Amino acid sequence: MNVVIALTITGILNLFGSIFSYRKITPLLSIIGLTTAIVFNSMYWNTNQSFFNHMMVVDNYAVAFGTVCMVLAACLIIFYNRFMGDNDHHLPEVLSVIVLSVDGAIVMVSYTNLLMLFLGVEILSISFYILAGLKKKDLGSNEAAIKYFLMGAFSTGFLLLGITLIYGATASFDLSVISEYVKLNSTSTNYLLLSGVLLILVGLLFKVAAAPFHFWTPDVYQGAPTIITAFFATVGKIASFGAFYRLFQMCFSPIVNEWSGVIMVVAIITMFIGNITALQQKNLKRMFAYSSIAHAGYMLLALLSHDYLGGNAILFYSIAYGISSMSAFIIIHIIQTQTGTDEAMGFAGLVHKNKTLAMITAISMLSLSGIPLTAGFFGKFYLFSSAIESGYVLLVCLAVINSFIGIYYYFKPVIESYFKDSITDDVIKLKSVETILLIFLSIATILLGIFPGLVPAI
Amino acid sequence: MTDLVWLVPLLPLIGFIINGLGFGKISKNTAAIIGCGSVFLSLIIVAGIFYEDLGRGGEAVQKTYFTWITAGNLSIDFSLLIDRLSIVMMLIVTGVGLLIHIYSVGYMHNDVGFGKFFAYMNLFMFSMLVLVLGANYVMLFIGWEGVGLCSYLLIGFWYKNREYTAAANKAFIMNRIGDLGFLLGLFLIFKTFGTSDFQRVFSSVQSFSSGDITITLITLFLFIGAMGKSAQIPLFTWLPDAMAGPTPVSALIHAATMVTAGIYMIARSNIMYALAPSTSEFVAVVGALTALMAGFIALTQTDIKKVLAYSTVSQLGYMFVALGLTAYSSAMFHVMTHAFFKALLFLGAGSVIHALSGEQNMRKMGGLRKHLPITFITMAIATLAIVGFPPFAGFFSKDEILTAAYSHSMFLFVILSLTSVLTVLYMFRFFFLTFFGEFRGTKYQIDHIHESPKSMTLPLLILMVLSAVGGGLGIPEALGGKHFLSEYFNHVFGGNTRIQSHEVSHFFEYGLMIISMVLIILIYQFTKQRYDKKVIGKSVEELKMSLWYKLSLNKFYVDELYDKIIVKPLNGMSNFFFNSIEKKVIDGAVNGSGQTVYFLSSMLKSLQSGNIGFYVLMMVIGIVAILFFSLINTITL
Amino acid sequence: MNSTPIDFFPIVIQFFVAAGFVGITMFATHFIGPKLNTRKKLKPFESGVQSVGNARQPFAIKYFLTAILFVLFDVEVIFLYPYAVNFLELGMSGLITMLLFMGLLLCGLIYVIRSGALDWE
Repeated sequence: MNVVIALTITGILNLFGSIFSYRKITPLLSIIGLTTAIVFNSMYWNTNQSFFNHMMVVDNYAVAFGTVCMVLAACLIIFYNRFMGDNDHHLPEVLSVIVLSVDGAIVMVSYTNLLMLFLGVEILSISFYILAGLKKKDLGSNEAAIKYFLMGAFSTGFLLLGITLIYGATASFDLSVISEYVKLNSTSTNYLLLSGVLLILVGLLFKVAAAPFHFWTPDVYQGAPTIITAFFATVGKIASFGAFYRLFQMCFSPIVNEWSGVIMVVAIITMFIGNITALQQKNLKRMFAYSSIAHAGYMLLALLSHDYLGGNAILFYSIAYGISSMSAFIIIHIIQTQTGTDEAMGFAGLVHKNKTLAMITAISMLSLSGIPLTAGFFGKFYLFSSAIESGYVLLVCLAVINSFIGIYYYFKPVIESYFKDSITDDVIKLKSVETILLIFLSIATILLGIFPGLVPAI
Repeated sequence: MTDLVWLVPLLPLIGFIINGLGFGKISKNTAAIIGCGSVFLSLIIVAGIFYEDLGRGGEAVQKTYFTWITAGNLSIDFSLLIDRLSIVMMLIVTGVGLLIHIYSVGYMHNDVGFGKFFAYMNLFMFSMLVLVLGANYVMLFIGWEGVGLCSYLLIGFWYKNREYTAAANKAFIMNRIGDLGFLLGLFLIFKTFGTSDFQRVFSSVQSFSSGDITITLITLFLFIGAMGKSAQIPLFTWLPDAMAGPTPVSALIHAATMVTAGIYMIARSNIMYALAPSTSEFVAVVGALTALMAGFIALTQTDIKKVLAYSTVSQLGYMFVALGLTAYSSAMFHVMTHAFFKALLFLGAGSVIHALSGEQNMRKMGGLRKHLPITFITMAIATLAIVGFPPFAGFFSKDEILTAAYSHSMFLFVILSLTSVLTVLYMFRFFFLTFFGEFRGTKYQIDHIHESPKSMTLPLLILMVLSAVGGGLGIPEALGGKHFLSEYFNHVFGGNTRIQSHEVSHFFEYGLMIISMVLIILIYQFTKQRYDKKVIGKSVEELKMSLWYKLSLNKFYVDELYDKIIVKPLNGMSNFFFNSIEKKVIDGAVNGSGQTVYFLSSMLKSLQSGNIGFYVLMMVIGIVAILFFSLINTITL
Repeated sequence: MNSTPIDFFPIVIQFFVAAGFVGITMFATHFIGPKLNTRKKLKPFESGVQSVGNARQPFAIKYFLTAILFVLFDVEVIFLYPYAVNFLELGMSGLITMLLFMGLLLCGLIYVIRSGALDWE
């Protein structure tokens, strides 16, 4: 499969960047590699090919999610290079790890075998543990890495145990065999299978940061370097949801009644914990960590839908959420380097320092809170309507209440940047590449908010 | 060219973006070139489309670009419909629009908001083109709202004047009332047909019987929308106030294009309206009454633009009568000729106002024919066109509507004839007060009086030619002519089998023409005697007014009436709600729930202790809870 | 296999009995047994050798690095055994796959050596 091969080669080439002294061109190399992979990936559209002895199938779902992950990763690499590149001694290695983790994301969205799911999750997670601890001399960063690693390893155990139990029940790792088995035996409860499903559920709920498996998120998001946090919050979450939806929709939908209750309760708790705790956070990175928990809660709704609508909804939401949180975190990073604080008051008077940046902040916050004419609105709209079609009216009502709570804290940075006076009067100057990329992300947000049909149906 | 149709609305949009973003940064010349150029390119494409359509023989083409919104079974496409109705509307919008854009270059030259003005104008062009090109009711609605927004922005263009912004608000609110009706109609269409696509709606509506209650309701709701946008009773009071905007805006939006959106919409939905005879009846009666009332009010107005505004309302009434009588092609004919001569009248009035440094009161004008020769000639033609003197444009289109009314009902015919007489009266009054007699303004004005620059007079001359010969497209058979326009529209309206025939005897038509000509000449003499004088009668205050005069001058007290029965009670109610319910009940509830949430937030925050052992413990508790929950769940299943 | 909630009752009883047994024995021994804590008893016991110094002594990080690298490459070599067993059956494609695999490992080794992870000083 060309995409995986291209990404792996890019990763290895990057790795040798500092040894064979071509570290200067490694960012370019990564972008070229990712672009090639994106091109390869889009050529698989509508082909439905299977690879590696039917371990992976590249259907439209995989192509769509894979492209989203790779585009976001490419944006991230550009930002990383522009903001950190000059000071980072380990630039080639970091880029290599990022590219290889995207490899994991690709595997996670196109697997048809539980072993591949496990491999994908591990490739992604182990890269993330390393990335979280990038700032070797920073205590917070170290704390984030070790916490993430310990808890991640713990949850991986459950994932693996779940896979084992499912193998015990169905005698196969292959999703098609498992789904056949589940279909045939959906009338009575098979406890071995159900325990496996629930344990896999636990493992994946941890990855998407759903309550009560979310405790790592705020600490890790705050401790990790901000740009890397952007990577966790976007690519990590989208790939995990890609894997989540694929497994549960393909295999376990016949016994939806046996696990939908768990998802419902978890979704409700997640939304409330995420939104309510975010209200009191002063640190913006922490606030966005809770916001990403809340978003995971919304996205869990899509898992409950009975038909194809859920897949489209989760794809659209992923794109909307990915774009907006990417720009939100990047702006936090810019503010952080300029004012030295990552609290909301760092945004004070942003409009006087850099109008474009204030505008982009406003757009991405509006999108995250789901105000119409932004992509976030249609993301929520599709998610909620897919859940309503499946009959979860009460759940959607609670989700709507949560969206309202969310507006409060999303508007904090906007209010700060437009209506407060700044501490310093320094003008924030950005290089053209960053500005163009940020503006591009904002335009995409607006465009998708006006023409949601631009995202193709999968 | 037909493949390029997407460029037609897009080009003005690009113009808007450049002018809007670059406002204050790009020079006035560049802004003017971008503003006019984008419309000009659109016009070229539209002309190409028109030519290709002639070759194709009028077959409708629908271009679907992408699915705009999908939600469940509902799917709305971004698609454009090119048929002869939309082509004619596009030609009017881009053609007249281009002339007015060029005119604005001269008119607005000294304004600080020059670039902003062109940005808004281009946005208006975009919205209007989306309105006429959209292939479903939702696209039409988007354009409908877009033109409403631009109208609001442009009426309040000189936003520092409170009265102007109030007028803008009034226009916006009145339009919103109409839009509510439109939206209800739209929802009902979705509910009944499951789609909003014109072609699909119109093909499935054929299975309904005439007078079906659902269709009647839909058409009625849509007509409420049209009442707001096209200023009909009872929602007409915003249009005269909308004259607060710059004069080119009045010409483009409030005379030639936007206000005819309601007529376009009903003509577009002709199949539905023909199926709802009671709605059609209602449309005709409302149109006739509006025509009469507005004509009567126009008789006594002294503001040059207000006279024209009421005249527009009155002419729109004519068009609605035609629509109500299922004479759709006559209505479109009048839309076209009206666009020519009314745009010309407004632009001419703008030229006068420009020459007199902003004076709008006709009592302080007079004798301008010597000072503004080009404006005078063009206005003379426009006046003859609107009063319906042969062979100018208004004669043919009005004549068609009058004969249609005669063939249908005596009542409508009498009202329309009366309105015609009123039209002649107020137009000649307007004409003589402005251009004849002696100048009654200040010394300063007479010193600074000047003919307008070329960029303003050129559009006037072009529009004059169009007003003079535009009627040639629809010469009635009685005069041995050929009705090109109704043949042209045969592809659009021909499929509608329920259109009634409006045949009348040729003898009647001759009679009508002769009588109207004689009347016009008589009234010309009458008004000439009355107003072509050095001194105009007493001012309004000294005049001993008859009841009718008072009614006309005060616009039938409609504004006051609305103020009494709607605005005041609403204000009272909102005060009550604000003071008792909002402040106590709602604020209390909101603040209370806010505080509760905040309290919860601090509770939850303390859970996040940072202790990894605790985190793992919570995870384990979570897992146990999930397993236990599922166990119970499966047992009870 | 029709089971009613009542059929699970024995399981519940067993659950309580098991939990009770564990709890009671733990607490009971705690209270019943004699407690004699001497200095020698509390000392860490390691094969009879007297313990010297603190166990939490800092090590040079290089030991870990070397140890980890050893484990890493050692574990990968395990894949060579099944390949050796199936050498003939897998044929040419197996050889290419294996070469690719070893090539990737070699890349890792080159990286390790060139980046100086094995330089002791």
